[in-house]
Amino acid sequence: MTAEVRNSSPRRFTRRQRDAAWTCLRILIALPFVALIMIPLLYTFMMSVLPADELYVRFLPSHFDFNSYLQVFTKTMIPRHILNSFIVAGSVTILQMITCSMAAFAFAFLHFRGRNLVFMCILATMMVPWEATIISNYLTVSSWKWLNTYHVLILPYGCSAMGVFLMRQHYLTFAKELHEAARLDGCNNWRFLATIVIPLSRPALGALGAYIFLQQWNNYLWPLLVTSSDNVRTVQIGVASMYDVDSEQINLMMSAVVICLVPSLSIFVFMQKNLINGLMAGAVKG
Amino acid sequence: MSASRASASPAKRKTGGSRTFYERIEPWLFLLPAVIVFAIFLYFPFFKTMYLSTFLTDRVGQAVKFVAFKNYTDILSGTRSKEFWNSIWVTVRFVFFVTLGGITMGIITSLLTAKKFPGNAFASAIFAMPIAIASSAASMSFKMILHPSIGLLNKILGTRINWLNDIRYTFPVICILAIWLATGINFIFISAGFRNVPDELYESAAIDGANGWHKFLYITIPCISPTLFFQVIIDVINAFQTFNIVKILTLGGPMESTNTIVYSIYLDAFRNYRFGAAAARSIILFLIIMIITLIQFRAEGRSVHYQ
Repeated sequence: MTAEVRNSSPRRFTRRQRDAAWTCLRILIALPFVALIMIPLLYTFMMSVLPADELYVRFLPSHFDFNSYLQVFTKTMIPRHILNSFIVAGSVTILQMITCSMAAFAFAFLHFRGRNLVFMCILATMMVPWEATIISNYLTVSSWKWLNTYHVLILPYGCSAMGVFLMRQHYLTFAKELHEAARLDGCNNWRFLATIVIPLSRPALGALGAYIFLQQWNNYLWPLLVTSSDNVRTVQIGVASMYDVDSEQINLMMSAVVICLVPSLSIFVFMQKNLINGLMAGAVKG
Repeated sequence: MSASRASASPAKRKTGGSRTFYERIEPWLFLLPAVIVFAIFLYFPFFKTMYLSTFLTDRVGQAVKFVAFKNYTDILSGTRSKEFWNSIWVTVRFVFFVTLGGITMGIITSLLTAKKFPGNAFASAIFAMPIAIASSAASMSFKMILHPSIGLLNKILGTRINWLNDIRYTFPVICILAIWLATGINFIFISAGFRNVPDELYESAAIDGANGWHKFLYITIPCISPTLFFQVIIDVINAFQTFNIVKILTLGGPMESTNTIVYSIYLDAFRNYRFGAAAARSIILFLIIMIITLIQFRAEGRSVHYQ
């Protein structure tokens, strides 16, 4: 393109000036889109620190009033809900890392009859939407008297097709000779998985873990259905039930929203690159 | 694909003699936890939902009386068909607008960050960020923003519109929030598609004298069509299953204008305790999603370009 331009009529601007103009244009167009994503979040934060007497008059607070955060931690059940969310999301993450690694190991390294069939059956579960199973699952766990427990929030998410698939894709990149060599040295499959494969797949496992944790931290419907007691309720349910436009409550509610966003946004910020690459690895071959 | 690579590698390695009993069951030991979870919480409930959909159920979901397809006919043409077809129409429009909007946002944000500029990394992080935001928490923020008397939007516009309770505005508002939430995943996958377009193609096109617009039309679009296709499927499936924002912001109203199929399933099962009827709705929704996915895969052959 540049070659062609150079041969045409004399230009009024140098190439550098043109590039600079394009960059400016790019930034100018990007700004509204960045604002579109940021404004709801900034607004939420502003509302959470707005002093109560300025609530109906201003958007930007004259000073930051963090009192409502203190109140969320001392006067509501949100701290308990946060603890519950950490317990549930943490347990699901660890559980899935284990079950997915094991299943993926069998699919990638071991040979057995029916391997492809079982793998297809697991992949097929990705196509079953949650609403096709959630009613029966609810009826099942309530008949088992599992409502209002931690395990009812954890065990149904004990494994995921996505996790098995991601880990298998990763294991397939390993050289077969590694497995052979380990066997010749008398290392059995369990030790091979635990001491060689898993340490070597830390980035993939990290991406999977971050993805599962985010998903669980943000989970709403299942906890809403199967819990009614504050002792096991998770933070999303707790926050969503705080809605009230009472002037005192607005601060409180918005602070709770900010508090429940902090863990997931920090995971996103710290794991961004790893997370995105991990997700891509699954999508490209999918 | 990679599956064939793995299965093609020789399974009959000569390790001397036949395999022991333990060696034969060992793979299944590795699979056991996964198989148990999938069997109990996916396969069993899926078939149980089909089973329940042919029964009249009591308030705790026990199958009471076999009614064959009565649950289905009630919904499709019987007493409750009006509400059901409305929910289908709402969902179809919702899926259409959210997918269209999501893909558009994905393409625009990807194009904006395709070339380096100061702040590129920051903008990319912001565009990807909605993947980490819980739809329930975001719905709470939007509930404040859209509040008729103290909300941000009415203050900016100088209006007093009841965004979440006015039949003209509620549906578009819900669509916009869904698009906002979907921006992250659309940006991540579509921008990766842009990055994977080989530079040589652009270079040879430049030598042939193609201008920027031609390059976009004849190189970029065909090269990212597999990505776009994949992303459309993801968006369609996600939009079909949107529940949280409807539950928190509108409860299906006003006048059922945001009563999606998924929300009507929730109402039927967990508010009205008509589990059999809700199961029938679930199966219909499952079939719709499956058929649409299959149609998309068939259409793929004709319109998507693979290198």
